[in-house]
Amino acid sequence: MKYYARRIAFYLVTLWAAISLNFLLPRLMPGDARSIFIDKFMRRGGEITPAMERSIDLVFGEKDASLWEQYVRYWGNLLKGDLGVSITKYPTPVSDLISDALPWTLILVGTATIISFFLGVGIGAYAGWKRGTIADALIPGMTLLQSVPYFWVALIFVAYFSVALGWFPIIGGYSLRDFPAGPEWSWAFIGSAVYHGVLPAVTIIIASVGGWVLGMRNMMVSTLSEDYVVTAEAKGLTKGRIFTWYATRNAALPSMASFGITLGFVVAGSIVMEQVFTYPGVGKLMINAVQDKDYALMQGVFLVITVTVLAANFLMDLIYGLIDPRARNNV
Amino acid sequence: MMLTKRAWRKAATVALAAAMLATSACGSNDDKGKGGEGGSGPTLAIFSGSQTPIVANFNPYSPTALPGTLGSIYEPLFFYNKAKVGDPMPMLGESFEWSKDGKSLTVKLRKNVKWNDDKPLTADDVIYSFTNEAVKLEYVNEVKKVDDNTIEFTFKDPQFTNEYALLGATYIVPKHVFSSQKDLVTFTNATDPVGTGPFKLKAITDASYNVVKNDKYWDPERPKIKEVQYLGIDGSSTAESLFKANQLDYSTMFVPDPKTLTGNGRLGYLHMSSPNPISILTCSNAEYGCKGAQTDKAVRQAFSKALNRDEINKKAYYGHASLAAPTFTLPGRDEKWIKDGLPKLVPGSADVAGAKKILEDAGYKLGSDGIYAKGGQKASFTVASVEGWSDANAAGQLMVAQAKAAGIQVKAETVTLDQYTEMRQNGKFEMIISALFGTPVSDPYTLYLNYFTTQATTKVGTALGPKQTNFARYANPKVDEAVKKAAQTNDEGIKKEAYAVIQQAIVEDVPYIPMFHGGSQTFFNQKDFQGWPSEEDLYAFPASWDGLQAAYVLSKVSYK
Repeated sequence: MKYYARRIAFYLVTLWAAISLNFLLPRLMPGDARSIFIDKFMRRGGEITPAMERSIDLVFGEKDASLWEQYVRYWGNLLKGDLGVSITKYPTPVSDLISDALPWTLILVGTATIISFFLGVGIGAYAGWKRGTIADALIPGMTLLQSVPYFWVALIFVAYFSVALGWFPIIGGYSLRDFPAGPEWSWAFIGSAVYHGVLPAVTIIIASVGGWVLGMRNMMVSTLSEDYVVTAEAKGLTKGRIFTWYATRNAALPSMASFGITLGFVVAGSIVMEQVFTYPGVGKLMINAVQDKDYALMQGVFLVITVTVLAANFLMDLIYGLIDPRARNNV
Repeated sequence: MMLTKRAWRKAATVALAAAMLATSACGSNDDKGKGGEGGSGPTLAIFSGSQTPIVANFNPYSPTALPGTLGSIYEPLFFYNKAKVGDPMPMLGESFEWSKDGKSLTVKLRKNVKWNDDKPLTADDVIYSFTNEAVKLEYVNEVKKVDDNTIEFTFKDPQFTNEYALLGATYIVPKHVFSSQKDLVTFTNATDPVGTGPFKLKAITDASYNVVKNDKYWDPERPKIKEVQYLGIDGSSTAESLFKANQLDYSTMFVPDPKTLTGNGRLGYLHMSSPNPISILTCSNAEYGCKGAQTDKAVRQAFSKALNRDEINKKAYYGHASLAAPTFTLPGRDEKWIKDGLPKLVPGSADVAGAKKILEDAGYKLGSDGIYAKGGQKASFTVASVEGWSDANAAGQLMVAQAKAAGIQVKAETVTLDQYTEMRQNGKFEMIISALFGTPVSDPYTLYLNYFTTQATTKVGTALGPKQTNFARYANPKVDEAVKKAAQTNDEGIKKEAYAVIQQAIVEDVPYIPMFHGGSQTFFNQKDFQGWPSEEDLYAFPASWDGLQAAYVLSKVSYK
């Protein structure tokens, strides 16, 4: 029990520190939201009407409360579940923006991450099993794909599969022509959403699968030289049984741990993918908030990410404590 | 965690089923099928700079109002064509007249205009639109109703210079909707916005919104198309892809080689100069605390002469920019305001000898390192540009070599957008590549007022106020006086005299080094739609991001 109490206390302190940093870091950055807003407007060639000029002052002219006062207010609002109002999407509450974007991110990036993990572990296990054969040639190819810049792969895919061949849509999470009123609960809509998700998901998988393959393959090779594998072979077990239940299961453990953390990071979305495919998601909220000095939105997104990653870590910690007694004694 | 073989197989079956669902969905769906019943034509898809997620906001007073709010849904009294000189075109107003002293303005309103909720537009609506909490123009004394179709503004001082702001850029809103709102700035007006414009809102999502023809519009001739879809797109490479896949019909965006889009004849192309002059801001005024070699006007003059703008245009701006005027008037539109004897455009090529002569006449001596210096101060300064604005970054690099040839040392550096705004605000910079806000109508008054007068600046170290944009810290009593004089009159002759004084001063002092007017490239679908603006018929500035001008274009185009 002491182990869990200590872990919980540790995570509470970490949470407090993370949330406080969330508050502090954006404010340490130079620049001011008002002139950035006007500048972006101008660079686009826009015109600011007299009425808008006044409201810009109202929206961006936040009263100069001291940092401490702001900090106290920040915590107060946070505990009330109020994340504030975004200034770049004024006057939308931050919680609305995040809750609209989150499902897209969770489903697409989440699914892609899971597929990528299973695919990577599967291929890695096979390559490790057949080490020294032609199967090993997979490894450099896969890692090469991972090291190619993601946005480039994505742009090539769009140019080829969407524009040249016309197989896939170019933008959006669903067809904007067919559903101008937005998401609805119908098979046609779900079909449209799945269709729009294929290309983004494929690019994410291609870009991330290599890491899983490499890690798994190497673990597999070292597991295969373990005594219990030799014993299993000596007992005359079938190859399939040794592969699945003796080698792969043990070799997958480290991958499982990092898979937990990766799942936690899913909520951060995939910034570049969302930009290239104009796909709804959290990553875009984050990058826009940072660029435009939208403190409330920035804090909101960072908060969601920190809390989820911490929760994922915590969960992995608990599970590790459960399955590995050594972890419990070593705190 | 023991999975049996059967469970594995089951999982595999589920995965397979999911994959089949995905592929079957591929076949059943086709994005290219364009909507629009009645057989008259497709929905026109426009991109005017919205990024996703789109948040419903059709409040003309909100800084985050969506494109289309101004122009498509709400209209001003008159339409000023930003592309050409000419009389303002009546919209909700019919005619207007200034009093001789400029202290009163009478506007006749159009009769029989209806809001899209069927209520009539009244003089009270118009008066409310100029006096409500959100607009509140401090120079307006009173707006009163003369009769049902006439209103009269009275001012404390002559307000000729605010004609455009009043008649062309203040949007008329329905009093019966807006006056019941507690806060006009936080009001989002997201559902069924009530306006008089040619279009009204049909549906909105976080990725796009559609507007349809307003059947009660006061002009029976317009609009001719039934539906317009505003798309939210992140990144212009995506917009290009959509154009190529015939899924986008109208947008203004930067494309290095427009032929890649116009090649197949579907898209028409119109290149216009943006009214905002790309310029180099210089912290010019040592009396106000500016530091560096550029505080000497000889250095600024010589640097401007040493620049080969044609080369910068070709290499950094893909040849799409056009030369600016040293008087900061818009070439091709504002020529009549330029003082006789002053050049109409900045020279395209470098005048190295001329630059050196200016420095030598000012007492500079060429040092052994090839850089001029005077009294220990080298003709050397930093030119900053914002990281990621690749055209400006490239221009900065080119300036280094060009200035070197004339014995001036330029250090090109890039700064973040944050640093850039801070540098401009507090004056702690030497030079920055930036742009000034040009004037929407043919009269440089506001530009002179905002960028060259003492009231628009502060000492270095103190941040500029919200409405101060004299980044160069330029202070010249003659200019201040001339700007004041120009504000008092509507007489072209007197204005020209005042502008001549200003122009003479700023051409001589170069607090801002004029460079270019950036190109704005507009692409439009000429296969399915007709009636777009052209070189011959520039009835509006065609940029898709300009609310009112684009809305007017949309109301003029028709199905082919």
